[in-house]
Amino acid sequence: MRLKPHQIEVIRRAVADLAGDDAQVSLFGSRTNDNARGGDIDLLVEIPHPVEESAWLIARIAGRISHRLGGQKIDVVLSAPNLKRFPIHDEAKKQGVAL
Amino acid sequence: MNISRTKLPRLQFLARIVRKEIRHLRLTNQRLFPDAFTPEKAGQLETDVELAERVDAFVSRFGRLQDTVGDKLLPRYLDAVGEATGPAIDNLNRAEKLGLIGSAELWITLRDLRNEMIHEQLLKHKTRILSKLWERIGVQRIDIILKHRNTPLKAIHRAAKKTGIRL
Repeated sequence: MRLKPHQIEVIRRAVADLAGDDAQVSLFGSRTNDNARGGDIDLLVEIPHPVEESAWLIARIAGRISHRLGGQKIDVVLSAPNLKRFPIHDEAKKQGVAL
Repeated sequence: MNISRTKLPRLQFLARIVRKEIRHLRLTNQRLFPDAFTPEKAGQLETDVELAERVDAFVSRFGRLQDTVGDKLLPRYLDAVGEATGPAIDNLNRAEKLGLIGSAELWITLRDLRNEMIHEQLLKHKTRILSKLWERIGVQRIDIILKHRNTPLKAIHRAAKKTGIRL
């Protein structure tokens, strides 16, 4: 996994503050590959209860992390009981490394 | 603030473009949101072609204005008034400190929301969120930002530049 402790801390804090303490965040995508370089930070955020305004929540999480990590590109995939599930969710879950 | 003579024409040119883009956005805004944008209205999007086109126009005009202000006007403005310019995030933070924009984080969030909506191509969702957005931040706030000529750069541009291969 290619994330620094400081980055992990920023990510966990932002997810807890915006999505709640019961939200779980995992890293997936190219950053899980130690041999790759650079790249977006792909995050799967799993929330165990229904969420409203999911697109706004996704943008807020991505925006806050991006801002605090100096403009780093962040992609967030959100999973919640009331949201439609797509193949990307399964793929993210399969690759996901819990943070 | 002193603006260098040689940099003024380009800045004035950009200001004209931004003013035009603001007019266009306002027009779509008035046409799209004369009243609250309800879930019922969002439900009509699949059948009401004209309404769907208006929503599309709003989203793309909003995006164009944010890009022009953030990627073009802000760096040039900072440069013209003798401020250091750098990566988009630095320009945004600088703009926030100077009081040109309310919040660099909100600016990035709005851009991410836009990308999210375009990415998802979920018109229904798009409009619902957009109307919520206006309720939340209000047209006023965005107006203020524009008048003060704030400018942010996009993170995606940096990433693209970093990995990009020139063709």
